Amino acid sequence: MLKVEDLNVFYGGIHALKGVSLDINKGEIVTIIGSNGAGKSTLLNAISGFLKYKQGIITYKDEKLPINPNKVVKMGISQVPEGRLVFANLTVEDNIMLGAFLRNDKNKIKEDLEKVYELFPRLKEREKQIAGTLSGGEQQMLAMGRGLMSDPEIMLLDEPSLGLAPLLVQTVFDIIVNISKMDKTILLVEQNAYKALAIADRAYVLEQGKIKMEGSAKEIADNPSIREAYLGVKI
Amino acid sequence: MSRFLQQLINGLSIGSVYALMAVGYSLVYSIMNFSNFAHGGVIMLGAYFGYYYLTKLGLPFFVAFIASALTTGILAVVIERGAYKPLRERKAPFLYFIISAMGASIFLENIVIATIGPTFKSYPEILSRTPIQLGSVTLGRIDLTMFIISAICLALLVFFIDFTKMGKAIQATSYSVKASALMGINTDLVIIVVFALGGFFAGIAGVLFGMKYTVYPQIGIITNKSFIAAVFGGLGSLPGAVVGSILLGIIETMTSGYLSSNYRDLIAFVLLIAILVFRPSGLMGKITEDKA
Repeated sequence: MLKVEDLNVFYGGIHALKGVSLDINKGEIVTIIGSNGAGKSTLLNAISGFLKYKQGIITYKDEKLPINPNKVVKMGISQVPEGRLVFANLTVEDNIMLGAFLRNDKNKIKEDLEKVYELFPRLKEREKQIAGTLSGGEQQMLAMGRGLMSDPEIMLLDEPSLGLAPLLVQTVFDIIVNISKMDKTILLVEQNAYKALAIADRAYVLEQGKIKMEGSAKEIADNPSIREAYLGVKI
Repeated sequence: MSRFLQQLINGLSIGSVYALMAVGYSLVYSIMNFSNFAHGGVIMLGAYFGYYYLTKLGLPFFVAFIASALTTGILAVVIERGAYKPLRERKAPFLYFIISAMGASIFLENIVIATIGPTFKSYPEILSRTPIQLGSVTLGRIDLTMFIISAICLALLVFFIDFTKMGKAIQATSYSVKASALMGINTDLVIIVVFALGGFFAGIAGVLFGMKYTVYPQIGIITNKSFIAAVFGGLGSLPGAVVGSILLGIIETMTSGYLSSNYRDLIAFVLLIAILVFRPSGLMGKITEDKA
């Protein structure tokens, strides 16, 4: 469904992505693991239309994705950015409704809003609260709920567990599984490789801007060099 | 007491026009994080457009008013497209925006001097100069008009920002351009709208100033006060811009009334420095706090 072929992205003078290719099929949870600076966020931002690239192509349902973030959202690809970036100056409800900015189908929006509140009862309780006063975990939930409101087919999640308390980390991964069951395809970028591989169908390992390995999540999780480098298992 | 009341009313009147100008600075700052010094030039041109629409085209007062506001709204967008958009596309540091803004401001001032000339122009008498007497307080008709029109404009702006979809998009973009784009908000369009709004109000403020005083190429310097007001209230905050402007207006007229009008600008600039030293984010500065 989403296909990246031979993508090269330069950041200033740095060659951040060097011929990255990957594809994601409908209904999958695909994870990209890699250390800090491997190019994971760059890849998501290129898909979301934030970055110009000279070489390579990104297609969605065989159509080239525009380099224009709001058009990419319109095509059905939503991103939950790293660091959550909730609108701290607005209420929880305003934040969620901004997720539906491009939609006009009022009844369907209301339905989706109910679904989001069902998935995150905490947000319903705090509907009128200013988003900046939420805890880190709640802000992550808000960012995901907001990302769902454009009714996307694919969700790109950038480090959703970053900076959260261990107990909340598990909650976030459970929620990702639940979102996936709502007929959403998921591309998950994570540093927490252990948890990401546990819920993913397939995985890519990104190292210094190149795909170093790909396979089923189980294969990757069982690979000795991955186990040592990313899962902290001494061999 | 009556002197106090009189100065308070004068302060409210001038402060409300400062507010009309200050929201233009604040709107742009809230989204783009730089002070758009070309705004003063746009206000100045608003005063000129109003003058020519009234005298040369002979348009009725309110038509000339709206026509000037529309013209400066478009002008502000043209400045954005020409002077800032190319910088945005190259992700230039914010200092470049300020330099570009100053360049635009100097350009506007000089193009007026070169084409229209540096002389003062007076608006035709639209409103009678005889004031309204309310007990011991005299109300100038122009002052009253300034206050009423400014208040209506500000109320409309608040309504637009708080209750329309585009208003919410502006608020969202002021917090995070990236996250807004991820909501499907066309952030380039938001920037156009913000400049158009600022320019529209600049035109109205320019005409009000032209009516009250006269029109000349350096009228933009007066608008520096509205910039001070915006900083005083907290750059990037609309309520801050309004509160800061009203307070500055009152402080100015009180200074003129009780001390001497020679001290008026002195106090305004001392206030600016004091704010920058003791409370750089102003009275109600933009929320930049973020939780991890």
